[in-house]
Amino acid sequence: METTELIEGKDISVERTGEEERKLEFKDALCASCGLCEKICPVSAIEVTPAGAMVRTEQDVSKIDIDENKCVLCGMCSCICPFEALDLKIGGESIKDMEEYPSLLKSAKISEDTCIYCKACETACPQDAITIARQLPERAKLVSGEIEIDKETCVDCGICEEMCPADAITLEHKFPSSDDPTVSSDIIVDKDKCVYCLVCKKACPVDAIKAVCRICSYGDYDINPEDSEIVGSSYIDDELCVNCGWCQEICPVDAAEVTKPFEGTLTLNQDLCQGCETCVMACPCNVLSFPQSTEPGKKPEKLHKDEKYCIYCGACQKACPVGAIDVERTKINSTPVRSKSWQKAFDSVKTK
Amino acid sequence: MEILYIKVKVSVINTHGVIMPKHIVSGLRYLAAVELRKKGYTQREIAERLVMDRSTVSHYLNGRNISWNSIEIADVIRNLCPRDFSILTYALVKDKEKTRNIVKICSIRKYECNVKNTCIACGICVDVCFMSAIVLEDLKAQIDPNWCCGCILCGEQCPTNSIEIKEVEDNGDNRTY
Amino acid sequence: MPIGLKLYPELCHGCGNCVIACPVNSANSPEIAGGKGPTDDVEVIMIVEDGEITMRNSGLCGKCGTCAESCPVDAIRLEELE
Repeated sequence: METTELIEGKDISVERTGEEERKLEFKDALCASCGLCEKICPVSAIEVTPAGAMVRTEQDVSKIDIDENKCVLCGMCSCICPFEALDLKIGGESIKDMEEYPSLLKSAKISEDTCIYCKACETACPQDAITIARQLPERAKLVSGEIEIDKETCVDCGICEEMCPADAITLEHKFPSSDDPTVSSDIIVDKDKCVYCLVCKKACPVDAIKAVCRICSYGDYDINPEDSEIVGSSYIDDELCVNCGWCQEICPVDAAEVTKPFEGTLTLNQDLCQGCETCVMACPCNVLSFPQSTEPGKKPEKLHKDEKYCIYCGACQKACPVGAIDVERTKINSTPVRSKSWQKAFDSVKTK
Repeated sequence: MEILYIKVKVSVINTHGVIMPKHIVSGLRYLAAVELRKKGYTQREIAERLVMDRSTVSHYLNGRNISWNSIEIADVIRNLCPRDFSILTYALVKDKEKTRNIVKICSIRKYECNVKNTCIACGICVDVCFMSAIVLEDLKAQIDPNWCCGCILCGEQCPTNSIEIKEVEDNGDNRTY
Repeated sequence: MPIGLKLYPELCHGCGNCVIACPVNSANSPEIAGGKGPTDDVEVIMIVEDGEITMRNSGLCGKCGTCAESCPVDAIRLEELE
């Protein structure tokens, strides 16, 4: 039986070979320095590097340090980590897939049936975990009309080309020569691009453009509803997702559903807060922000929170240098905890 | 343990000139064979259990092909404390399954094993147990008292001090290690 | 090795940015955040003395890195301590 530690870049793995092969893997990029692993470790083998140092200054070290001489590879850290940064494998299988180990109940889903692919969640996601791919309908199929330019009347001024909002008109500019004293060889309208807005017609100084929009005059009688359909797909990277609930809250059609791993309260002491911003930088869920003053002379609250997005991981509390933040966890949503010692350990990360 | 170990060494040098580890292993196997014979096992069963030739078992039980000196040393090892007995046997035999068999057959003492609820199922005890007497079940170690040799290596390594091994003596006295 | 506050007085220009920016300093004495130097009875982490940064109470440091961020010449850093 031997325990060895391997550090690759900032990722760490601790391995013990024996009757059963145990391997604890730490992925630095996923860690939010919340300190839950440090808190639950029964042998005090984990030390978290101060979050402020990690986000503000460049450090060569990993976000946590695992002492391989102390680590017994029990897997408690792996089961409590809300960010999938730690994973214990026994005989090659992750304990997160084993029934006897408790695992956090957390998920984020986007219903393909409801999603309108507006991308609000993709923009709001604090971890860039969401990708919305959408295919827009062909513009030409959503408009209907006719356009024609009388080339005899046209004076090649290029005003229509300049004004067209859809870049549908192209004038083939040329330098006049004695055998062909014109400034353009041709003028072309791309009917796939034209939206029949009639700007060109109205702007033409010599009334060379004849155009009509059928939508405006007759309504949408000749548009096939299928042609206006937007198809797409949504994808949430479960490894990056922190289940903060931003997608659920921002979605205009309630297509996103998020289950959070912890329940609790987040309390800010505005008097103690000195506005250093460390918590704002440390929070993986964009719960905290500095509000802008709404009118001159009006002082807003120092630090703003919205608990809708909070997962009560405690990263902000751990990062605050003046103890102005209090995170209390009242409930851990997990599959059943089968052992008394594990239950006790889970209970120990509740409250403060 | 150290004093006893030195004694063994001294006897090796003084009384026989050269005794190889394999001779001591033979001695240990002899002791195990005799124990099994006492319990009524047939020579064939003994050979199977100890992974030996049937003829060798027959020779051993008739006191042939084995030096009394090897048996004496093996007997000294057997009477060491359970921890030294198992560690030394493993060092000589270099095979967990064979060590497990010899120690189990030759052990005279019985143990009562208790794992407290503070066990976190780290599995270190499973890894250190020469006897493969421990398994994890529902995030708790379970020790099979039939296989426990009383070496308490598990208890020494346990990070939460959750293991209690008690020797059950014939007179009913319980001694805690 | 733990990460802690390390001063490089030889690089310091004595501007006092770090003393003012430090949230622990200003929590202990609001005057500091206002740009006024602390009085002698106030506990501060670091202070500029004779134009050089000097450590007073490293134990108070919450390792948020605000000082390091405010220093124009990298004279105060969060580093692995020996």
